[in-house]
Amino acid sequence: MGSRYDRAITVFSPDGHLLQVEYAQEAVRKGSTAVGVRGSDVVVLGVEKKSVAKLQEERTVRKICLLDDHVVMAFAGLTADARILINRAQIECQSHKLTVEDPVTLEYITRYIAGLKQKYTQSNGRRPFGISCLLAGFDYDGVPHLYQTEPSGIYYEWKANATGRSAKTVREFLEKYYTEELVSTEKGTVKLAIRALLEVVQSGRKHLEIAVMRRGEPMQMLDVEKIEEYVVEIEKEKEEEAEKKKQKK
Amino acid sequence: MAFVDRAYSGLSNNIHGGFEVPDWLSAEHSTGTSIMAVEYNGGVVIGADSRSTTGSYISNRFTDKLTQITEHIYCCRSGSSADTQAIANIVRYHLDFHSIELGEPPLVEAAANIFRELCYNYRDSLMAGIIVAGWDKRRGGQVYCVPLGGMCVRQPLAIGGSGSTYVYGYVDAHFKKDMSKKECLEFVTNTLALAMSRDGSSGGVVRLADLTEKGIERFTVLGDQLPRFYEG
Repeated sequence: MGSRYDRAITVFSPDGHLLQVEYAQEAVRKGSTAVGVRGSDVVVLGVEKKSVAKLQEERTVRKICLLDDHVVMAFAGLTADARILINRAQIECQSHKLTVEDPVTLEYITRYIAGLKQKYTQSNGRRPFGISCLLAGFDYDGVPHLYQTEPSGIYYEWKANATGRSAKTVREFLEKYYTEELVSTEKGTVKLAIRALLEVVQSGRKHLEIAVMRRGEPMQMLDVEKIEEYVVEIEKEKEEEAEKKKQKK
Repeated sequence: MAFVDRAYSGLSNNIHGGFEVPDWLSAEHSTGTSIMAVEYNGGVVIGADSRSTTGSYISNRFTDKLTQITEHIYCCRSGSSADTQAIANIVRYHLDFHSIELGEPPLVEAAANIFRELCYNYRDSLMAGIIVAGWDKRRGGQVYCVPLGGMCVRQPLAIGGSGSTYVYGYVDAHFKKDMSKKECLEFVTNTLALAMSRDGSSGGVVRLADLTEKGIERFTVLGDQLPRFYEG
């Protein structure tokens, strides 16, 4: 039904859809997976790193970006679109600090980004941003948050979520295994995030990028060795689980 | 209107509403305060007095004129309190943004140039004499002078504020290259003490700070501990 109603974004289709927004969400679904898990003392973001061509330099591609010292963002979808939004958000974080002398809260900056995205669903001649963002960090009162924004301009807070390719699979995994007890430690939170990503990332470990945000500390990107340690532990646990199942049978 | 230094009434006339007012209520154009910064191998030492005046009234006798811009970059402010505070806030904004883009701490030279951009482009509306000092891993300890008109130049040693005019001779005679941290601290303390004892718009305590790779270390030399010189 889309053919006549997906030209300009400002037009509703007869059955009440904004087709450009839905197409943008389709673009998100094609992007590489991003996952976020909120623990009690850390918030963890993980992304699937696309494998680079043979001759391409392996610069750690910035799919996880700092918006301010205490806010980190990962996204799924059109990387170029993300750059624009990230830039605007970074400026807003500083501008907020200058005018009210306080760092932004996670909710504020999420609302700002969502508001920006919404504007592009109601403007003439412009298309929506083709990205879905996961924002993580701590407010200055020490409370951790994880938010998600969509191309339509809506935002939600989550305990754990995924976006991008195979997001549904990852989310179902998280729903199954997320417990308050598990994420009460940093190790548990990071392990859950990595496990969730490993479900859908082909050839696992070398293609993961994990960022850990701790209360009052700068963001830390886990290096390859550290991720490897976690992956080895996870695989051992999986084996033990499989053994147990076999024994039961 | 509080000033980090002396009062500055742009149109200096001594007649207000038909009445003669005393001379000391209208001020000269030099900026009050005594501030100083010295480079040494491994960092910088910065210092300032602590007097803020509104005319001849000391509105704050324990001012902190050593303002943080980033963890490793500080500035010494002289001139109008309002102007220098506003400028420092804006520079902090720009540098925070810059360092997130860069992914590492910004260079002292970058900070000094941002100060200069503001001080030069708005030179007609501002009264700010600033010394930018800090440590970065490319060039170690650095001192940059950004005086009234908006010049920016790196110097091993910089003094500023109205009190500085009285100590050029002392500084020229006693500065040596490659001083140690302890020698720098003593040198700055002595210089500022001399400036404060001669300049009416400088006084209070001497605030010192040592900036190195490890960050800031602050000191305060209270009034009764200030070195004393010939007071005849």
